[in-house]
Amino acid sequence: MDNLLVLAFSAFIIENIILSQFLGICPFLGVSTKRSNALGMGLAVIFVMLISSSVTWLLYKYVLEAFSIEYMRTIVFILVIASLVQMVETFLKKVSPPLYKALGIYLPLITTNCAVLGVALININEGYNFLEMLVYTTFIGLGFLFVMYIFSMMREKIEMAPVPKAFKGAPIALLVAAILAIIFSRFGGII
Amino acid sequence: MNKGLVSGLVLLTIGLVCGILLSVVNSFTAPRIKLEEDKIKYQALEEFYTLADYDISEYEANGAFATIYILKEKGQSDISALVYTVSAQGFAGPVQMLIAVNSDLSVEGYKVVSHTETSGYGADIVGNNFGVSEIDDLAGFDAVSGVTKTSNAIKECFNLVAQRINSDLGGGLSE
Amino acid sequence: MNKKDNLLKGIIKENPLFVSLLGMCPSLAVTTSLENALGMFLGVFFVLVLSNLIISLIMSNKKLSQLVKPVRIPVYIVVIATLVTIVEMLMHAFLIDLYLSLGVFIPLIVVNCIILGRAEAFASENKPVDSVIDGIGMALGYGMAIMLISIFREFLGKGTITIWGTLQLDLNVIFNFLKIEPISMFVQPAGAFLTFGLILAGITAIANNKKNKLAKEVTNNG
Repeated sequence: MDNLLVLAFSAFIIENIILSQFLGICPFLGVSTKRSNALGMGLAVIFVMLISSSVTWLLYKYVLEAFSIEYMRTIVFILVIASLVQMVETFLKKVSPPLYKALGIYLPLITTNCAVLGVALININEGYNFLEMLVYTTFIGLGFLFVMYIFSMMREKIEMAPVPKAFKGAPIALLVAAILAIIFSRFGGII
Repeated sequence: MNKGLVSGLVLLTIGLVCGILLSVVNSFTAPRIKLEEDKIKYQALEEFYTLADYDISEYEANGAFATIYILKEKGQSDISALVYTVSAQGFAGPVQMLIAVNSDLSVEGYKVVSHTETSGYGADIVGNNFGVSEIDDLAGFDAVSGVTKTSNAIKECFNLVAQRINSDLGGGLSE
Repeated sequence: MNKKDNLLKGIIKENPLFVSLLGMCPSLAVTTSLENALGMFLGVFFVLVLSNLIISLIMSNKKLSQLVKPVRIPVYIVVIATLVTIVEMLMHAFLIDLYLSLGVFIPLIVVNCIILGRAEAFASENKPVDSVIDGIGMALGYGMAIMLISIFREFLGKGTITIWGTLQLDLNVIFNFLKIEPISMFVQPAGAFLTFGLILAGITAIANNKKNKLAKEVTNNG
């Protein structure tokens, strides 16, 4: 239990997926201009990440390892993620239109989001068991949501600030991210 | 023919071609990858033996012992050397050592891997020569003066190895 | 468009990293030393050039392209993933130190938007030769961009510039002369965001300057 707590905390804050592992930077800069967008994207990522990590973990353990074709994992994982995103999209459209309306536009963006494939691969590389995998993935996803949300609030303010012309847009966003990264890296002292 | 079916077949064919290609590349690279991985895994042993000359396997022991590395010369079935990861209680915490013993009981080398002794009291034991050349003869054991407890821990490590080495060489490590 | 322009556009005018902001994740993660950036560049170069070649070969064949069109994105993904896996296996076998320090970012070349982007936007509509040139240009542009970032980061953070293995430029003399330590923050995550942000701002400033000059010239002449 202690182990899982440590794992959860470090996945959430210390090894934060955006600020220390640099996965999912594109949506971080692209979709974080508004709070509602950040929230929608974050939720969609958690949702897809949990499903795809579980499926790829099971596939790896029971198919790829069983036939000792581990080297096919990149190909298999990316195809699984791409088709899962499609399926989730169609499923949501049919079953829950309001949820689809909220998350739908973010789903196609997720296929090329390196965070989803990245987490699926990390789960395998670190040799997590199924429970650890679930905890790690959930908290990595929550960390993504958390940082996206904080960042979007800051960017709403920056929009109104008198930023030098050359720094407008991506450069100032990156500098703000640098300050956030410094703050987050200090949490490492807690464990 | 149905258009969707044809496209599916095309995708499947391309997938198959790619799969075959990958397995060909894999058959070339896999042996080298294993060699490189072993090199990293058994890096600690490198200062005692030339790794390329041996087949190495591991045995997970319990108690004071952690991993025991079993080295057999390539193509031979007899154990030619054993490297023990062993620890004993020192002054402030456990002292962990690697002790490499040849099959004729001569000590090839040893190394303090980790310890928690305060510097000045135990830190200088790391590179020290304790004067041990035969595992079953510790009479010449040369303790570091002033750090009796740590020296004792190291002597204990050698003793622990000496106690089991004969049975291990005699096949005690095969499951 | 002639061949020279085709090659050069990837390096400057349409630089995938600095102008289009594609492939940001690895460019932030692996730029802790020039050696890593060079390794990443090699991987991207191999994958991008070959994927452009293969995809344009498939798509320039009329019959084949008719068959592939409905499933073209999955086909691109399969081709790219295969190439990436080959790179991964070769690096693991022959450049294991690099393989370990790049880690999960080698398989993640698959989702690097540059590669899928070039496949869809260029290789699927152009001849094989042009596609290869486009791939070389884009890979060089990306490689130069990440190497530039990594030179800044490694020099400021560690006081060295590692070109390959033990071939290393030790510039700590400069820090000693100034009586300061290298600023280790630059090799930590925060430094990645900071360096990238500042370089991007510099480039925007230069571009703006040029635009202003051009605009002035136009008004003067007119």
